Amino acid sequence: MEKFLLKNIENPASASLEVYLKVGGYESLNKALQMEPADIIAEVKAAGLRGRGGAGFPTGMKWDFASRDVKFPKYLICNADEGEPGTFKDRPILEKNPHLLIEGMVISAHALKSEMGYIYLRGEYPYAKIVLEKAIEEAYATGYLGDNIAGKGVGFHLSVHQGAGAYICGEETALIDSIEGRRGQPRIKPPFPVNVGAWGMPTIVNNVETLANIPLIVSIGAEKYAAIGNPECPGPKLFSVSCCVERPGVYELPMGTTLREIIYDHAGGVRGGRELKAVIPGGISTPVLTPDGIDCPMDFVNLPKRGSMLGSGAVMVFDDTVCLVKVCWRAMRFFEHESCGKCTPCREGTGWMRDILERIEGGFGREGDIELLQDIALSITGKTFCPLGDGAAGVVLGFIKNFSDEFMYHITNKKCMVNKDSQSAG
Amino acid sequence: MIKVTIDGRDVELENPVTVLEAAKQAGIIIPTLCYFEGLTPFGGCRLCLVEVEKLPKLQTSCTLMTADGMVVRTETDQIKAARRSVLEFLLINHPLDCPFCDKAGECDLQDLVARYGPEAGRFAEGKRRHPESFDDPIIVRNMERCVLCTRCVRMCNDLQASYSISVTGRGSHSFVEPFSGGKYNCEYCGNCLTVCPVGAIMSRLHRHTYRPWFVEKEIETVCGFCGVGCSMVLQMRENSIIRAIPRAEVGFNKGLLCVRGRFGYEYVESEAQLTTPLMRVDGELKQVSWEEAITFIARRLKEIKDAFGGRAIGAIASGRCTNEDNYMLQKFIRFVIGSNNIDSSARNYYAPAETYLESIFGQGITANLISGIANSDGVLVVGGDPTAINPILGLQIRASWRSGGKVIALGAPGGLKRFVAYELMPTPYSEEIVLSAIVGRLLKGKALSGENTAVEAKLRSLRIPSDEDMEVTGISPEDIARASDDLAGMATSVVVIGPDIIQRERASKNLFLLGAIAYLINARIFLLSERPNYQGVMDMGCLPDFLPGGRPVELEMFRHKIEDALGMKAPEDRGLTLFEMINEAETGGLKALYVMGENPLFNIPDSARVKKALGNLELLVVQDIHLTETAGIADVVLPATAWPEKEGTFTNLERRVQRVRKARRGKLASYGRDDWKIIADIAERFGMTRKYHRVEDVWEEIMHVSALHAGLGYEDIADGKAVWPYSGEPLRGMEGDFSVEGLEDLPHVQDSEKPYLMIERSLYHSGTFSRRSKALLSIYPEPYLMINPVLSERLGLAEGEKARISNERGVLELKVKLNKDVPDGQVLLSNTFEGFGAMGLIGFSTGPVIGSLYIRDNTVRVEKVLV
Amino acid sequence: MDIFEEIRALTEKYPDRRGALLPALYIAQEDAGWLSQEALERVSSALNLPQATVKGVATFYSMYKHRPMGRHLIQLCTNVACMIMGAESLVDFLKGKYGLEPGGTTGDGRFSLVIMECIGACDRAPAMLVDTDFHSDLTEGNIVEILEEYE
Ligand SMILES: Cc1cc2nc3c(=O)[nH]c(=O)nc-3n(C[C@H](O)[C@H](O)[C@H](O)COP(=O)(O)O)c2cc1C
Ligand code: SF4
Ligand code: FES
Repeated sequence: MEKFLLKNIENPASASLEVYLKVGGYESLNKALQMEPADIIAEVKAAGLRGRGGAGFPTGMKWDFASRDVKFPKYLICNADEGEPGTFKDRPILEKNPHLLIEGMVISAHALKSEMGYIYLRGEYPYAKIVLEKAIEEAYATGYLGDNIAGKGVGFHLSVHQGAGAYICGEETALIDSIEGRRGQPRIKPPFPVNVGAWGMPTIVNNVETLANIPLIVSIGAEKYAAIGNPECPGPKLFSVSCCVERPGVYELPMGTTLREIIYDHAGGVRGGRELKAVIPGGISTPVLTPDGIDCPMDFVNLPKRGSMLGSGAVMVFDDTVCLVKVCWRAMRFFEHESCGKCTPCREGTGWMRDILERIEGGFGREGDIELLQDIALSITGKTFCPLGDGAAGVVLGFIKNFSDEFMYHITNKKCMVNKDSQSAG
Repeated sequence: MIKVTIDGRDVELENPVTVLEAAKQAGIIIPTLCYFEGLTPFGGCRLCLVEVEKLPKLQTSCTLMTADGMVVRTETDQIKAARRSVLEFLLINHPLDCPFCDKAGECDLQDLVARYGPEAGRFAEGKRRHPESFDDPIIVRNMERCVLCTRCVRMCNDLQASYSISVTGRGSHSFVEPFSGGKYNCEYCGNCLTVCPVGAIMSRLHRHTYRPWFVEKEIETVCGFCGVGCSMVLQMRENSIIRAIPRAEVGFNKGLLCVRGRFGYEYVESEAQLTTPLMRVDGELKQVSWEEAITFIARRLKEIKDAFGGRAIGAIASGRCTNEDNYMLQKFIRFVIGSNNIDSSARNYYAPAETYLESIFGQGITANLISGIANSDGVLVVGGDPTAINPILGLQIRASWRSGGKVIALGAPGGLKRFVAYELMPTPYSEEIVLSAIVGRLLKGKALSGENTAVEAKLRSLRIPSDEDMEVTGISPEDIARASDDLAGMATSVVVIGPDIIQRERASKNLFLLGAIAYLINARIFLLSERPNYQGVMDMGCLPDFLPGGRPVELEMFRHKIEDALGMKAPEDRGLTLFEMINEAETGGLKALYVMGENPLFNIPDSARVKKALGNLELLVVQDIHLTETAGIADVVLPATAWPEKEGTFTNLERRVQRVRKARRGKLASYGRDDWKIIADIAERFGMTRKYHRVEDVWEEIMHVSALHAGLGYEDIADGKAVWPYSGEPLRGMEGDFSVEGLEDLPHVQDSEKPYLMIERSLYHSGTFSRRSKALLSIYPEPYLMINPVLSERLGLAEGEKARISNERGVLELKVKLNKDVPDGQVLLSNTFEGFGAMGLIGFSTGPVIGSLYIRDNTVRVEKVLV
Repeated sequence: MDIFEEIRALTEKYPDRRGALLPALYIAQEDAGWLSQEALERVSSALNLPQATVKGVATFYSMYKHRPMGRHLIQLCTNVACMIMGAESLVDFLKGKYGLEPGGTTGDGRFSLVIMECIGACDRAPAMLVDTDFHSDLTEGNIVEILEEYE
């Protein structure tokens, strides 16, 4: 497939405006500026684009809600918090193709009649900050940002807001709190951000990759776009592939490409030709799959049928040398560390589960621990304020469901099934 | 109309409310923890989960709004299991030190676990440990017990708007902390104590001595500290107050109290409380019996009256005493002794200001509901910090700000600092020019309504300062324009007037200007009141020129009406004001003074002069609860009952009449007596025939005599909703013309080399009372000279070092406290601590037009004391 | 340059002063390497925000430091991908080589080590940030070489 999102990134100067313009950059914007805002929204709707941040919410529908609210100013926020472990797909856009994102944002802003935008960039990407700020400067200098964009009377201002190390700020309402200078904790919904968001005003939050798809839709039209990949959730998709594969990296492939194709055709297969043991398909918050699930198409429709989720499309491949109890423990340590602390089950439950997993992994598991873990996870599921807690519970449930023998082995033999001589959790 | 079904019950709702609220209306109580009525919803604890048909997940009822047709279940097995698991999670890190925890018995967590379980937790790992924090004198913080409901933080930020605590850290490492991590350094309102559902934030006042089941009785009463009049409940054990708490259901203060109200009560248990009458024998105060004391007073008063006439006798009433006490004193002096010489420290500013404003705009012009401030879209504050003088009123101003209202303060904004739109800091004594300029700008291009012709006529001749005139004020014409335009743009505005702007040479002009601003922008006026019953003092006729009900003494029609009702006569011309009495005492015209619950020797400037004047008297009687400075030089001292020891009523600054109820017996029950009773006793010796058995009898007479209180019985007052005029006669209208000083000129503002000594009106103290409260002393233990960093640098005086302040009136040496909010050219000192009252170094005169006290000769030399 | 002015200038980017709080904290942190109480006081007065509020925000985000840090801050990822690719042994290695414990600082004040959650470099794991420089595909061999570049 021809690359669009990652087009030209092999060029060392791909981030510069000059290079971007050479490969047809900002042509979609010029086209979009001739269009009525409502028509752009209709086009995005017809294209069937679904949000790439994890939830897969239809972008056109979100925009439609936002455009129906008549309060102004409206804020357009790009979610570049990319915190889901295993995920690094937005990074090449941010670091190597920033003008694509800016172009996507300006088009979106025009469609949404937003005059002020922020890129909420995770604190862990300091280099991306430099690149983005430079690109924004270039865009201002050439009139792609400012009060009168491309001389068409459309105004949009954009700046980078740097996060500071909090996974939960990827959740859109926590992100808004964070931009407002608060502790980034999720807000009560409704009202939804499209009506009451940043500073009480209608706010549209979209993922980097989602916004980067907008120029493509404008340029080739909804119909052609909808023909890419799975028609139920079409378009190009970035997959971050990591852990035990030969060629880890970001791959731009049509939505619906199967896991098998991704792992074996693109990422070079399991490293050293070892045996595939497990795959997490969508980032650490999505339930793990066993090898018999790898023929599943990677999209928002098919993965749920297999008991997992597309999430951010972060494929984590584990071979037979990996201790999954340890992976599960490490994942839980992450959730405990990142729980915002607002709601009881997540704040208290993640730490408790981490305690138990740490014990099991370290060879101090007790009889009944597996049942207890399951029970705690079920006590969290569906009762937390935001999906982070559900994710944490789902991970434990997924690992236990698919690999309970490995947990049992740890408990009964007080050691690891994979690395039989190692006992410590480090 | 929204119809929902909750647990099979149909509920009809006028407006959409939360499911929790709807259930409550149907009589179904859903358990909650992070929810607290009045606080912004949070939805974090997850205890209030309910099942809603058609929604896949359980929902938090505290955040979910009802929608038509919704079907809700609140107690299914699934829900019970969910609640049990939430509680199990909460208990993970909870220390389970219930036997040792003061909260036991009124702990939400304990009650919830008792109801839902778990009977035993399965958590077998290490619990979070966090040492208890004793950094604060009156609050103890135990973060091990915290359940992170954030009620305290929301209280502190959203309602108290003090922003002193915050959740710090994240996830399971979250803690509720003040900035310092230790000491709160906050306003110590203690409202966080009210909302903490567990024992995480508690009072230290009754640590390990209090258990809820120790409470023998609860007395609903009104706070005795300031003119807001917050409702509170005194929890009693044996004869002691073990806690003062607010109750959301009672009173307009809706569950909020300030530091004085909540923690200051224990002054009444002070060792220093008087227990027996004292009489001066051979120059010394000796204990005597009541009979001896009363007989002596009656005899001496008679002798003086016979020799010099009733007008040689005067009385000082008290803003800390009840309406009944004050009424009785007034009746005694006016109708029994035959003198209109009765006044109170309300003369300092409150009474003359109110009287003057009423003469311009009609009676009741300052009678406005405090709760209304929150709904206003703009507030102008002049003359003092409402959040210190009348804290709960101050909160209403912050609430107005929260909902978008603009707050403009002239002068140091104090506790409103965070809330003012911009700074307007005039140089000392230049406010009059600033206010004139604001009025000038408001008048520009505005047609006058013609409603109040007297005011408008005066406005036409008002001298509007030019830009040059403004120079001395330190405020630019642009700032004036901005402030005026903001004021003009307000739709429902409020003008709050504090003492400092009234205690000025040309008080009438300042008040006129403030009144004019209110008139021009259609604002409601509030007059801050330092004492719980200044208004009652006035209403009861403790004024030289007004009878009970605010009727002028010199108008025959009114006087006769009251004389007829009582069957007694009052003198027909006005009596002496507080200051005139002091002058007369100095010159020998006044022979006897009866002081009830007031301490003029400390609370009026120029203490040395006041002391000399009172020393001239042939008879000085002081009736009080402590041996005050004034009592110390009296001929007879009578021990009275303190605020929680008596029954009666207070009238707050919005004219709400509220019940003060007896909670404890006085120190020695057979000695301390109610003020009104003592006076009635003396009056009887003069042949007053009317007998009063209970305090209700006094009130009944007030109802009968005062036009404002007609038809207002104790039963009507009981719920705190009675605001006068209750029924009966209408308020007085305007009295025709009034005069204003210096309408056509501007004051001469002079630069002073030496700083002005101003009175610090501290949130943590209240006159001389609070110096007996251990809790308040623990926050503000000793007198400080507050100076700003500029001056401190100039004088080389660091925080905590000693300064000497002096002028022709005296010398004080005391510690310095740095405070960057003290305006340039000023130093502040409270008027609280024995021997260190600011009034001692301040001179005064009285304004010719309104007769209020104005402060003068108050510059001081400040030096570093070298050790 | 006075951070006070720098912080004030930031507020331009936001509809209210509070919006500038996160970047302001970065500025204050850059100034001294960490956020002392005094630094938080500066930020709170520059933005006219309550001190407790500022502290609440500053302690929520893990990239703000509340203890003095070494001259160079090593932020090493140990999340799943990096862990599988050997990050744990790097932690042990740093302990042995520099006496550097997670959360600690070397005796000479040269390095501080902070363990990170995923830093988005899973394809080149294990990875770390040293100050704002990104380093990946770390091994016990190359990590020393990299660190030796930092004085
Ligand atoms: C715990 C949590 C973390 C999230 N992190 C991210 C993230 O890092 N990046 C992102 O784009 N969306 C993230 N999301 C999803 C956002 O809430 C939101 O759905 C998304 O930004 C919407 O953009 P989209 O419609 O373009 O996907 C997260 C959601 C949750 C619940
Ligand atoms: S589930 Fe609760 S505690 Fe966890 S991140 Fe979401 S709101 Fe915060
Ligand atoms: S009371 Fe509803 S979540 Fe706490």
